[in-house]
Amino acid sequence: MEIAEKYDFIVIDDSKLDCFIAEKIIQNTGKSASIKTFMAGSDALAYLQSLAIPELQQKIIILLDIQMPVMNGFEFVEAFELTIPEKLKKQICINLLSSSINESDMIRAQSYHSIFRFLNKPLNKDILLNTIQEWQF
Amino acid sequence: MLTANSADEGRAILEQHNDIVVVICDQKMPGKTGVQFFEEISISHPTPVRMLLTGYTDIESVINAINRGHIFRYITKPWLETDIHSAIEEGYKYYVTTSMLNTRNHELEQAYEELDKFTYNVTHYLRSPLVSVQGALELAVQSNNIDEIKDILRMMKNSLNAMDDFIKNIHGYFTIKQGELTIETVDFNSIAESLREQYADYIQKENIRFDITINQQESFRTDRNLVEMILNNLLSNAFKFQKIDNPSKFVSLHVDINRGSAVIQIEDNGIGIDPTQTDNIFKMFYRASSEREGSGFGLYNVSGTLKKLNGEIKVSSTPGSGTIFTVTIPGK
Repeated sequence: MEIAEKYDFIVIDDSKLDCFIAEKIIQNTGKSASIKTFMAGSDALAYLQSLAIPELQQKIIILLDIQMPVMNGFEFVEAFELTIPEKLKKQICINLLSSSINESDMIRAQSYHSIFRFLNKPLNKDILLNTIQEWQF
Repeated sequence: MLTANSADEGRAILEQHNDIVVVICDQKMPGKTGVQFFEEISISHPTPVRMLLTGYTDIESVINAINRGHIFRYITKPWLETDIHSAIEEGYKYYVTTSMLNTRNHELEQAYEELDKFTYNVTHYLRSPLVSVQGALELAVQSNNIDEIKDILRMMKNSLNAMDDFIKNIHGYFTIKQGELTIETVDFNSIAESLREQYADYIQKENIRFDITINQQESFRTDRNLVEMILNNLLSNAFKFQKIDNPSKFVSLHVDINRGSAVIQIEDNGIGIDPTQTDNIFKMFYRASSEREGSGFGLYNVSGTLKKLNGEIKVSSTPGSGTIFTVTIPGK
């Protein structure tokens, strides 16, 4: 079943190149109403905290790197779970996007309620489309 | 040698002195037997070697002493002085060997922990740029826009450069860890000249003023390669962590050789370091900012190198206005 809906995308990655790649792939899916990239988790969190629910046009899909300085992906999720209102959380789908092949990272990812999928870099269009579809149904 | 008239007194002595090597105790004491006492202290104070002194030689008390008191020697009364001598000597040897083994075990555990962390991070820092390049290649193959492809290629180049830097840093880490010092007379003016040459293109491109003042009136002996490694790390940070929009970026290197010691100061007017981060920046793989690329290896190597040279490093920084690193190296 084809998804007609569009989404706001947020990419959180400290690598400029990885932000660029994710942005392109998101564009290629044709599902983006908007794409925002943040190179620091704290900036992305501040942005989400500033969102007022009534203003929210689309559901938000986040692609989140794990290994980042100052605030890593897991720390971002912890802060997200603590500070974002439940109503808003329901509109947001967080996916880890990492080059990590470390099993402990995958196991840790499963322990967070708000992490939907653990995606491997390099990302491609089909995997991203599948993820969106699975989240919807 | 300390003596106690009861088990309680003995315990009090053990509480006060943590360097007791051998405890010799009579089996028959008021209130408590020697075996009971040893049984207790084998848990609370396990390191001293325990020897039981007794006139009774019934088999059951011997078994108890070994199984419950975990004693090293069983000495029967009346004893020969030479027996006590050799028992204490052997007990001492046993104590030294055991404590050495414990120290080694502890060191090994730490080394394994560090190795785990090291492997995790090395995998990340090697795989991450590689995977980025794979992703970028895929995009470039699909693109028909030559300008976009060129952009992608430029980013791929940066990614591979970062990977190369990381590998060089790992190499540097092992060189420092295992290498012997090569002490020679070092002329800081000639180091300054090669640094100026090395950074010439970069400072021109980025429009950064680079001032060097060298004040060396006396000869100074140290390991030139290590000093260059320190300077390169600190300078490349100073160049890298500049404020992009600043119209008057500057980095300065100031070296003062005075009474056999070198004081090196590297100053910049870049983005600065948050005061809560200054304790962490010398830790392995620690990165204080996501504003610039980095592996978290450079300053760790700097502090490792300085340990080798008996030197020290201080940092003072104001976020938004700049950083000063001050390195002091004693001459050899």
